[in-house]
Amino acid sequence: MAELTPGQKVPASEFRIPASTQLLAVAWLRWRIFVNSTFNRRSGTKRRAAGLVGGILLRIIVWPFMALLVVGPVAGSGFLAWAAIARNRPQNLLSLLAGIALLWQFISINGLSISASVSSFDPASLVRYPLRFGRYLVLRTMLGLMTPSTVVGCLALLSAAIGIGIAKPALTLPALLVMAVYALMNIFLTRMIGAWMERWLANRRFREIFGMLMAAFAIGVQILNLQRAPMHAHGVPNSWLARLVLGQSSTLRWLPPGFAANAILRASHPFDALMQFAALLAITALFLAIFAIRLRKQFLGEYLSDGAPRRTSHSAAPRAKPPVQQASAIVARPGERPRATMPPVLAACLRKEWLTFRGNTTQFIGLITPLVFIVILNRGPIAQHPAYFLPGAIAYVLLGMVAALYNIFGADGLGVQIYLLAPVRLRDVVVAKNLAGLTLIVIEAGLAWMLVSILSRTPIPLSSQVSTALWTIFVIATNLALGTLRSIQAPRKFVPGQTRQRRGTPTNRTSSLLILVVMFGSLILQVPVVYLGRYFHMPWLGTMIFGPLAVAAVITYAFLLRNVEQLILTHRDVLSEELCKV
Amino acid sequence: MRGLSHIGIGCVTEQLRRVSWNLVVVTMTTPAIDTTALTRRFGEFTAVQDVNLRVASGQFFGFLGPNGAGKSTTIKMLTGLLAPTSGSIRILGMDLTANSAEIKRQIGVVPEGMALFGRLTADEYLRFVGRMYGLDRATTLQRTQELLEFMQLADEQKKLIADFSHGMQKKLALAAAVIHGPKVLFLDEPFEGVDAVAAGTLKSMLQRMIARGATVFLTSHVLEIVERLCTDVAIIHRGQLVAQGSLAELRAGAGRVGQAGSADAASLSTGENRSLEQIFLQIVGTDRDGNPAAAAPEQELSWLS
Repeated sequence: MAELTPGQKVPASEFRIPASTQLLAVAWLRWRIFVNSTFNRRSGTKRRAAGLVGGILLRIIVWPFMALLVVGPVAGSGFLAWAAIARNRPQNLLSLLAGIALLWQFISINGLSISASVSSFDPASLVRYPLRFGRYLVLRTMLGLMTPSTVVGCLALLSAAIGIGIAKPALTLPALLVMAVYALMNIFLTRMIGAWMERWLANRRFREIFGMLMAAFAIGVQILNLQRAPMHAHGVPNSWLARLVLGQSSTLRWLPPGFAANAILRASHPFDALMQFAALLAITALFLAIFAIRLRKQFLGEYLSDGAPRRTSHSAAPRAKPPVQQASAIVARPGERPRATMPPVLAACLRKEWLTFRGNTTQFIGLITPLVFIVILNRGPIAQHPAYFLPGAIAYVLLGMVAALYNIFGADGLGVQIYLLAPVRLRDVVVAKNLAGLTLIVIEAGLAWMLVSILSRTPIPLSSQVSTALWTIFVIATNLALGTLRSIQAPRKFVPGQTRQRRGTPTNRTSSLLILVVMFGSLILQVPVVYLGRYFHMPWLGTMIFGPLAVAAVITYAFLLRNVEQLILTHRDVLSEELCKV
Repeated sequence: MRGLSHIGIGCVTEQLRRVSWNLVVVTMTTPAIDTTALTRRFGEFTAVQDVNLRVASGQFFGFLGPNGAGKSTTIKMLTGLLAPTSGSIRILGMDLTANSAEIKRQIGVVPEGMALFGRLTADEYLRFVGRMYGLDRATTLQRTQELLEFMQLADEQKKLIADFSHGMQKKLALAAAVIHGPKVLFLDEPFEGVDAVAAGTLKSMLQRMIARGATVFLTSHVLEIVERLCTDVAIIHRGQLVAQGSLAELRAGAGRVGQAGSADAASLSTGENRSLEQIFLQIVGTDRDGNPAAAAPEQELSWLS
């Protein structure tokens, strides 16, 4: 019934909304977003059942690895803390706490650029509700407590406290108390960094620079550590990283890990322990205060955006008018030879893809990083086996790149309509997009190949090179074909700076599980083939297997291209629905 | 609206006559919105400059301006989403900075971009908003159901907001803005993308709210809507308020304020029959020297057939 009933009058003085009401409302909101994101409500029953089966299969594969990532650090922390006390190596406790804090902060900061622009929930949007600042502060502190870094960090600290308690029961209570404050300190430090970073991350250019810095940091640590501590060095590694992690730096004592460790270790000297604990509390309070100051500005309406509105419209001088172009100007004159050697549609689409790539620093970083890791891998044992090193390196660089082939229209968003409206052959558009992707892959694979050739300690056999080349063609053509099909059947809207892309409509589309199997299967197919070739002393086995496979994959792709026009027209409603929705 | 076909718009309007929803008539001496020298700068760029806006309680107020004139920036400041660089804002007689929570409790906003949570259903979203505004659980549920029915969204219970059409999202945003019975309603382009039937229903609802003493502050590019609904209008151009007053005052050429407008007020043609569009174009359609701001398109795009 479309009727709005009269409401009860609320006294003007009733401004106070119970804190529990608003806090529970936000908790409920987060829960519903989580539930709705986990179970796709758009699916039909049949599709939902299929999705459920796929989801369970995926989880069976993925969860053991995830569990290892959680159980490893937690159990390890407990054991290391126990060992530090039981074996009377207090320095190790300091190292452990420093290590936990470092990893906690590194993972959290790394995740900031991802979570900053995930559209499902922006905590800053809560400022428009009638909240008091205190509640907003509590909400902003609580939101994000369930991130992996925070959960694992807290569990690791709890485990460390238990480990200390087992080693020396008298330290149980102080350890629990100190670890709780240390956890709070880490939480506030994360929030403080996050709140300040949020301001900077609102700017797209900064996000890109930040991504570069984080990638450079991760790579730099690896390289520097390898430089200073060769893999096969005898005795204790003497790298700066090792010294820092092992707590051999006196600086750490004046930092929160030092305060926390000493507050526990010096429990027999209550005054010393209290002073250390007070220092830890003071630092925690400092982080909270800095976080609150930043948040207060946001609460009062500080401007966060990709950029201020352009001023040109208000103050710019009138621009000189370009000469008026006559209708005849866009028509080639008789006898004039066209400069372009490729079809204009293809050229225009390729140029558009190039311009998109040129403005995307993150994608550029994604190209550089695998090459750097190949250099790092070169120091490992795999480099001694060129038969594995070459395909391994190529598989590594391809892994990150073939995924992009499965969503070639995603970055176009609303712009995809121009392809459907313009008088162009849609096949040309697909070819241009595939060509752009293919060019990047070939350049990347070529560079990786060159690097391996230069870095390899022994010559790479010709049979391995031919086999790898054919396998590469097979992988690229297979993924191009399946990727193009999937891109048309289930395009996903890509929002710059946002890693979580929109889900595709559950129409008649290629299964996600099948895609994963093909993508990873094609990539790791080299391993058994190379192994069998070596086992049976048949160096050309790979060539015999991958040759026909490559030909078949190329033919499949060509067949798909022949029919792509019709395929897009059949799925144009999906393209519009998924990519054009505001 | 499921029940609309049975009872008709006139009947709904009649029902709305009974709606009060905490709409307390504020004394007419206290303006609902009062700004003094409101200014907002983004770096060197001044988006809004020295805006002195006065909206009386119970007014249906239209806030107009060309694209990029500063309308949304002003609304963001008036609703506490953006801090002014200088100047003051008083809503319902209270200073916005000092009483932000109290004021937010009494205003409703349909912001630019609507600020919905895409991964909720409409029902879940309204229940969340109701609780955030301090409504008890029973009232929240009741109003949620009524609003969903009223906005013709009751049949979309399982659909995520992200899958709503633009018009449906707009209706939901409007439902969320009124669920707590605000005294002042800020609407940024509320009718954009809304179908004619729903727009008619929404207009009726807004007029009922006005009748009950609420104030509606509305921006729209559709000048016919503003002309039909609003009693008073302000026009912002290049960040400065260039006209403010009742439609009759603007028609008479008396509402012109500030110095951003180029032409002398006396030089403006007047006439009781002028439409708001003509007034608007006359005020903002000139540059600082009084010349037309843009050349006629046909002069530049001569190659068009």
